[in-house]
Amino acid sequence: MAVPLSKKMQDFTQEVFPAIIGTNRKDGSVEIVPVWFEQKDGSFWINGGTNRGWFKHLQRDPRITLLLIDPKEMFRWAQVEGRMVNWAEDPGGEHINQLSHRYLKKDYQGPRTGRITIQIEPLRVTGAIDGWR
Amino acid sequence: MAGAKKAALSPAVRKLAALPILIVLATKRDDGSVQLNPVWFELEDGFFWVNSNTSRTWPKNLQRDREVTMLMVDPKTPDRYAQIRGRLISLIPDPKHEFIDRLAHRYTGQKFRELAPDEHRVTFKIQPVTVTGVLI
Repeated sequence: MAVPLSKKMQDFTQEVFPAIIGTNRKDGSVEIVPVWFEQKDGSFWINGGTNRGWFKHLQRDPRITLLLIDPKEMFRWAQVEGRMVNWAEDPGGEHINQLSHRYLKKDYQGPRTGRITIQIEPLRVTGAIDGWR
Repeated sequence: MAGAKKAALSPAVRKLAALPILIVLATKRDDGSVQLNPVWFELEDGFFWVNSNTSRTWPKNLQRDREVTMLMVDPKTPDRYAQIRGRLISLIPDPKHEFIDRLAHRYTGQKFRELAPDEHRVTFKIQPVTVTGVLI
């Protein structure tokens, strides 16, 4: 079941840094890459092309772990174990453009077609932001 | 990846590894889900070295499944990163906590804190196998 985020986590997830996501490859190994994200209504939202490895992995195994870490002060971090609960096409790239404004304060310069938005529900939160658990 | 060859690391990757940044270590829990932890590390002799006390979850995960993925992110430009797939090749007890003191020195300029009475430290030697990402 989805867990609600603490006030500290809600504040932390408004800060601007990429989320590091871990997904399961078919061979059992883990892929980790940084991606843009936003947290809204208690869910995490990321965006990518359908050809991204992590999206293929998530379709097979919806479990995903996010590491949120302040790159300037790496002891400020939280680990979110979650699950992809939904994905949808991002027609016209509206969502990626919104993320671009969050991260770069300008319109998205890359391709706006063939993109998808993924919704991730948090199931467990650990790490230094909420205190060790 | 058993018996896989050691990956050669580019100057850019080695330069990033020389910074006192944390490396993100991905291990697998026994239910197959992914665990991510930022940890102290050093790159020495072409191997990645990390250290932990034995009671944490990620060292247990790593001993059960020796395949590990690591990520280093450029602190100045977070979209520049190197993903390193590696393999645990040895586990070295650190009873006199020499290695953790050395790591602590790299990050804090000081010796590591006093260990708890029942705390045991162990060093993990990880061989890089492949490197991908925006900093290869």
